[in-house]
Amino acid sequence: MTTLHIDNSHHIREHLRERASATIKRRQFVSRLMIALCWVAIGLAALPLGDVIINLFSHGWSSVSSWAFYSQLPAQPTLVTPDAVGGVSNAIAGSAVILGYALLGALPIGIGIGVYTAESDSRFAATLRLVVATMVGAPSILMGLFAFGLVVVQLGMGFCIMAGSFAIGTMMLPVLAASTEIAVRNVPATLREAGLALGAKKSTTSLRIVLPAAITGIVSGAILAISRAIGETAPVLLVIGGSQAFTWKAGDFGEALPFMIYQDASSSYPAQRAQAWGIALFIVIVVFFLSLTARIWANSKQKERR
Amino acid sequence: MSLNTSTVSSPSPVTNVEGRKRPSTSSRGAYEYVLLTASALFALIAAYFVGTVIWRAVPAFREQGFGFFSNAMWNSSFDPTVPSQFGSLSMIIGTLITSGIAILIAVIVGTGTALAITFLLPSRLRTIAATLIELLAAVPSVVYGVWGLIILTPWFQYTVGPWLAGIPGFDWLFGTTAGGQCYLLAGLVLGAMILPSYVAIGREVINSVSKELIEASLSLGATQWQTLWKTVIPTARIGLFGAGTLALGRAIGETVAMSMVLGSALSTNYQLLKPGATLAGWIATQWGEAQGSNQVPALFALGVILMVVSLSMSLISNRLVARQRRAATL
Repeated sequence: MTTLHIDNSHHIREHLRERASATIKRRQFVSRLMIALCWVAIGLAALPLGDVIINLFSHGWSSVSSWAFYSQLPAQPTLVTPDAVGGVSNAIAGSAVILGYALLGALPIGIGIGVYTAESDSRFAATLRLVVATMVGAPSILMGLFAFGLVVVQLGMGFCIMAGSFAIGTMMLPVLAASTEIAVRNVPATLREAGLALGAKKSTTSLRIVLPAAITGIVSGAILAISRAIGETAPVLLVIGGSQAFTWKAGDFGEALPFMIYQDASSSYPAQRAQAWGIALFIVIVVFFLSLTARIWANSKQKERR
Repeated sequence: MSLNTSTVSSPSPVTNVEGRKRPSTSSRGAYEYVLLTASALFALIAAYFVGTVIWRAVPAFREQGFGFFSNAMWNSSFDPTVPSQFGSLSMIIGTLITSGIAILIAVIVGTGTALAITFLLPSRLRTIAATLIELLAAVPSVVYGVWGLIILTPWFQYTVGPWLAGIPGFDWLFGTTAGGQCYLLAGLVLGAMILPSYVAIGREVINSVSKELIEASLSLGATQWQTLWKTVIPTARIGLFGAGTLALGRAIGETVAMSMVLGSALSTNYQLLKPGATLAGWIATQWGEAQGSNQVPALFALGVILMVVSLSMSLISNRLVARQRRAATL
């Protein structure tokens, strides 16, 4: 730093002004450039996502809008009949059945864990919380390996719908537990204290006051878990075996929508690839519908309470 | 077990009431046992999950030893006199390359997008963009796989690939022949796939940076970008790091999309236009033909690597976020 002298203060002021205007110009330029790059980033992000959506509709709409897609069993196209791909009714039913069994097991346990970890301060609860947080990030294919090791081999059930349900259920458990815990914790403590102050038992307070207040969060979490599970391919790929028939028995070979996408996408028949797009579009529509309903419902509930 | 009254400091009225009536032993009724059972069941499942994956992999680890990590061969031998060779080196490197490209894209483009959504878009568009991003985060990965395989693979094979392979001086990076299914494409698809979830969390984190801080920075004469770069991002860095770790975890564990756009090739040639394999993708592609052979334990062993990496990553990120939260509340 130079010290100021009365004599040449004029020059220094002039010099500083020049320097300042130069830096301001540079800073403004850098700022404009980087802000422009942020706009570029948003464009770069929108490009692939938009392309996915456009392709889903342009390739998949003809399947999704035809009745045969929902009512017929799949068919194997031949060179003579390259367009005979049938429908995916068995895969829709299979996905629903797998998800149904999975929810049957995962919903009560998942919500139970969530309520327990939210209400308890014990060391076991703290450990569970950590396990839940860790398991949420576990790759889904590991659940497929787990279901294979336990259900297919150890329990001797072979490739079956039950193993798929088990894999999907195990995958949903930590998601349900985490969202339930947050929902229960978000219930104001005063509400719970009011219940207890009125002489209600802990269990009554929990069941009749806290859970109803937390239900929006719990249901939203469940819907999130379901919409994630519908498209989950890797775990079912390993254990359900694949089937061309219509079945809901837990011990049978099963079929699922994402599994069928996986098989169809690498087919050499254009009609089968179109079917893969169709199933993909169907899943995306279902997932969007589920998450939008959950969102709108949660919003309306919240307004109601205010 | 006690009620969680952490929000209430000092002896709360709840405990007073309880203390007077002493119902704590009798109130530990059926309801709490149900909760405890569910939790114990989950703990059991989690333990059994880790145990099963490791236990099924033991034969492979015992047979291959350290070679499982240093070997890039994968030969299942049915002749008992010839030992099978299972090595994961190629898959480990393949996973590193694809998720490395993906996380680079997600963090750079994603942070820019999150900043742009929060600070640059008009407020009406902001909510729409945020909702859209969250919906897109729910698109299943197999959909991106279909997109990558059917739309992008031919494009890469005939347009992008030849162009990249023709750039002089970059043979070491891209190679000289163009391929459809390749590391670069897999990394790009993976990047597009994890981008929405990164932006969804990153946007929330950036949105939570206090207005006062931003206004203080602007009032000191900082430009818009200086405020974003030197105030907003440093304040939100732990949250962004958490979002990045989560996205990276998703990238490492991604299975079907990778087997669709990366192919299933094992080689020690890791040029970006070559097909390859990732840990998770290899399990999926080999699963069918592995049944009934000694490949199954080896595939489980790949699962063990995947499990150790992903679980320790989420443990670390949980720790960091918890520490940051504790520091913030003090």
